[in-house]
Amino acid sequence: MKEMSVVKKSIITAVCLALCVVLPQAFHAVPNAGSVYLPMHIPILLCGLICGWQYGLLAGIAGPALSTLFTGMPPVAVLPAMLVECAVYGLMSGLMMKLIRTRKTYLDLYISLIVAMLAGRIVAGIARALIFARGSTTIATWTTGYFVTSLPGIIIQLVLLPSIVFALMNAGLIPRRYPKSAGLRL
Amino acid sequence: MHRLPTGMYLPGDSVIHRLDSRIKLLALFIVVVSILFINSLIGYEIMVVFMAVAVFLSGISLKVALNSVRKLSWFFLLIFLMNTLFYSTENAWFSFWKVTPSPAGLMQGLEVVLRVALALIASNIMTSTTAPMEITNAIESLISPLKLIGIPTGQIAMILSIAIQFIPTLSEETDTIRKAQMARGARFDSTKMTEKAEAVMPLVVPIFLAAFKRADELSIAMEARGYRGASGRTRKKFDPLKYQDMSALAVVIAICAVLLIIRLKT
Repeated sequence: MKEMSVVKKSIITAVCLALCVVLPQAFHAVPNAGSVYLPMHIPILLCGLICGWQYGLLAGIAGPALSTLFTGMPPVAVLPAMLVECAVYGLMSGLMMKLIRTRKTYLDLYISLIVAMLAGRIVAGIARALIFARGSTTIATWTTGYFVTSLPGIIIQLVLLPSIVFALMNAGLIPRRYPKSAGLRL
Repeated sequence: MHRLPTGMYLPGDSVIHRLDSRIKLLALFIVVVSILFINSLIGYEIMVVFMAVAVFLSGISLKVALNSVRKLSWFFLLIFLMNTLFYSTENAWFSFWKVTPSPAGLMQGLEVVLRVALALIASNIMTSTTAPMEITNAIESLISPLKLIGIPTGQIAMILSIAIQFIPTLSEETDTIRKAQMARGARFDSTKMTEKAEAVMPLVVPIFLAAFKRADELSIAMEARGYRGASGRTRKKFDPLKYQDMSALAVVIAICAVLLIIRLKT
């Protein structure tokens, strides 16, 4: 399958934005699921991994905003910090997929995901410390909020996202990163 | 699948329904920012009265306006309790381990809950009185100056409008997949949190596959009809702003200014 067209990337981004609204609703049957399982991050990271950094950045900015507008979650008070965090996720996942070429899709995905997740959390922590929650953000609260509480979500993302990407490739819905005809291992 | 708690357009002919969608979007932004300014009782009173007037002028019932607040009542209770019990140790009523309920914590809890509730009501009024396509047309119009720095605003608006149209479709799809998984033994109704979470996992991959299949079909259909991107695409031409639109915006700006002055003086 050849490279995706601008139209297809745009539609996929639109679908990921819609999933930013719909997916958290499925998870909110579980109490406090939003901050533990991080359902909104999955479509944003996926958009960056598949479509590129421009679309990932748009998904990261517009996804939480749309979700707040249509469902009230995340609350307006936490929206700015979440916008910064998700924008960096989408941006970095797309950038890393563009820059990293190990010839093994799994490795590319994991490196991109880990770098994006770390970068997003670091930038969000800095933004909270300097702008959104000045004086009440410490290393301890940052570690607790972004790593300890959300550990199930981090594990879910690391397990699910590569699986979703491979499922989409095998279904022929997105092009393979390293075409099999090139004799490269997945 | 639970109904979305807010955001459903209710057709009508009220004062607010007739306002330009760009003005409503700008007003929502100004109101939400104003809510963040408030730090005094008089400020909250002004905003509550303003919201009550806005609800009356929008023609939607109080029940609909407070719908999103009711749906998130558990969240508000959690936030209120967290602040009351852990916010401050000054003048605490009692102390047990890290639990120190105090008057400062109580006020902080009430303040946070009230701010979020007011912002939700404002957002609800906007989405109840403005059709989704009008919202995206307004967004496109308001971000069009970004074209000067090379940002493809037309493409962004197209993505947003398709996303909004996909929300109910994917919501139904999620519900169908959820019922199918329940038929296969997934325990969404379990009281155990781990079982509930495990049940949600088999939802995710099928949801994404179904969503991407729809995206694939739509992109093929659009390209088959000659769509190659947003450039050259015609778009809605907004009517010039009317006196009512400018008056409404002026009122909102005036209230924001009053709240800012109150904040600076207190």
